[in-house]
Amino acid sequence: MSQIADPTVVPLRDPTILERLRNATVSLGRFLRGKPLGGSGLIVVVIFILVALLAPVIQRHDPDQIFEGPNPDYKANPTVIELARNPDIGSPVVVEQFIEPSGGHWFGTDKFGRDIWSQVIHGARLSLIVGLGASVIAVVGGLIIGMISAYYAGIVDLLIQRLVDMLQAIPFLVLVLVFTQITERSVLNVVLWLGVAGLAITTRLIRSAVLGVRESEFVLAARVVGASDLRIMIRHVLPNCVAVLIIAFSIGIGAYILAEASISFLGAGPQGIPSWGQMVQAGRGSLDLHPWQTVFAGGAIMLIVLGFNLLGDALRDVLDPRLRGA
Amino acid sequence: MQGYIIRRIIGAVFVVFLVGTFSFFAIRVLPGDFATASLGLDAGSASAENIAQRKADLGLDLPIGEQYANWLWDTVRLDLGTSFLTQNSVWYEIGRSLPYSIELGVLIMIVGFTVAIPVGLISAIFQDKALDYSLRGLAILALAAPVFWTAAIASLVVLQWDLFLIDVIGQPHLWEDPGRAITWYLIPMFAGGFAGTATTMRLLRSQMLEVLRQDYVRTARSKGLTESAVIIRHALRNALLPVLTVMGVTIATIIGSQVILENMFNIPGIGNKVLTSLFARDNPVFQSVVLIIAVFTVLTNLVVDIMYGIIDPRIRLS
Repeated sequence: MSQIADPTVVPLRDPTILERLRNATVSLGRFLRGKPLGGSGLIVVVIFILVALLAPVIQRHDPDQIFEGPNPDYKANPTVIELARNPDIGSPVVVEQFIEPSGGHWFGTDKFGRDIWSQVIHGARLSLIVGLGASVIAVVGGLIIGMISAYYAGIVDLLIQRLVDMLQAIPFLVLVLVFTQITERSVLNVVLWLGVAGLAITTRLIRSAVLGVRESEFVLAARVVGASDLRIMIRHVLPNCVAVLIIAFSIGIGAYILAEASISFLGAGPQGIPSWGQMVQAGRGSLDLHPWQTVFAGGAIMLIVLGFNLLGDALRDVLDPRLRGA
Repeated sequence: MQGYIIRRIIGAVFVVFLVGTFSFFAIRVLPGDFATASLGLDAGSASAENIAQRKADLGLDLPIGEQYANWLWDTVRLDLGTSFLTQNSVWYEIGRSLPYSIELGVLIMIVGFTVAIPVGLISAIFQDKALDYSLRGLAILALAAPVFWTAAIASLVVLQWDLFLIDVIGQPHLWEDPGRAITWYLIPMFAGGFAGTATTMRLLRSQMLEVLRQDYVRTARSKGLTESAVIIRHALRNALLPVLTVMGVTIATIIGSQVILENMFNIPGIGNKVLTSLFARDNPVFQSVVLIIAVFTVLTNLVVDIMYGIIDPRIRLS
């Protein structure tokens, strides 16, 4: 048979980068229109990511800089009695602590005279690293464990399920507190342990997704033609679980951010980096007179978690309508 | 049915055993131990001999396997040991702190459910109306706000307007001094209730929407029942079942926020004990407290599952 070029058949080709970009923009636009709440969540998240990336540019002051101002009570040679009444009287400058929000300091200053705005800006970095990092670890780990558990069934599955039950019988916060104490409390370790603590939930989600796919006919067909377990898992099961993976990834982020804020609030968080949870705690000492540090740091936590939750909810609705409200 | 219940009970006991084992090893894996920490406080006495002596007194010098076997045997006989920190028996410590936690936990649940159920119901009835959107918005906010921040803002409001005095001395129980106890619990119970049941509200709403589309609801309406009878008797009852299914998760969430709230408001409950015993490396107390929390959540799940098995025969077989 001779090959005749049929003018109506357009040869299949991979879309160019430009076309892909246009497709992505179109589906993003459709997402924003169809899910206004999810869209606003996305905007909040993007703003926080930009803030975290550009923190040194928009910080206005160094977050560790201590502001000092002229001392209104300054006296050159105070007597002992005057010094006893006001220990600061001898120094010409004093720390500008607890300044109210103003043009110079948008969010005011804290107890040590540091600019709260700059600190909140830098706190975004930790929260984002923790939320995204821990979620990646939990999803990747949950994928491996969940797949093994669902695919091999039997005693392995039973054992893994009981271990998952065990992790879920302990409150998440307690689990995180215990785990993070094991190693030095660096950012990386905290991220790692948060991800490990989250394994229970992701494993359970992914396991049930794999169980559903495992029974489908194309997996049976692949087995009939003699595909190996590994090949079936990677080529047939995994692509059909992508939606669940994205859902598991996006709905966990808020919870990890909250968990990090909670352990930081309790004084057991990562050290050497501005943390919102720790700032809420620091501001609590003078809450009645100078609430700004607590108000702004906590507000930032709520806003970023809100953004990720809204985005996660919308993604879940779009990708898997069956899980709505779960 | 009996076979199902027995299977579930064995599973639950196994999970509790796993949690106990986990907490036993976790507290020992952590760097530092009580002997070193307690002697480190009074300087000079912390020689290597003293520490070794203290470890021997506390039984921390035994091989880990032997310690584990001892712990297992003691725990099976319900002997939880003595606290390193206070030298009281762990049962005494738990007996003193558990009532506070149960009080606060029950108050949080009452607040949470009295808010979540009507709100979820109203939100579903007025689906996609302004009321629905604002209530859902509130639930989303409640999920996002860290519980310690809500509590801090609430105490700020109370302090700013001198609503009432939060300083409570003497740690009263509700049944001893209801007036003072309730001012003490007021902020934590509302903050915890706010955070703990946003999930319940959202779940109830989506379940109500599902149920309201069912045939039996249409039947109930078409036979002339009033709308309130349809919603309360036919729809709500069925929509509440899934809410009860996740009760174990709800309780775990509430206990988690209690850890923070008890710490913030100096309530000497179980949540506070978790933190102090963890940071002080008070092994017997920590193990027992985690075990008790686990028994609580596992028991809730077990009861829910068995009830479900009674109601719905399909579940027994899976």
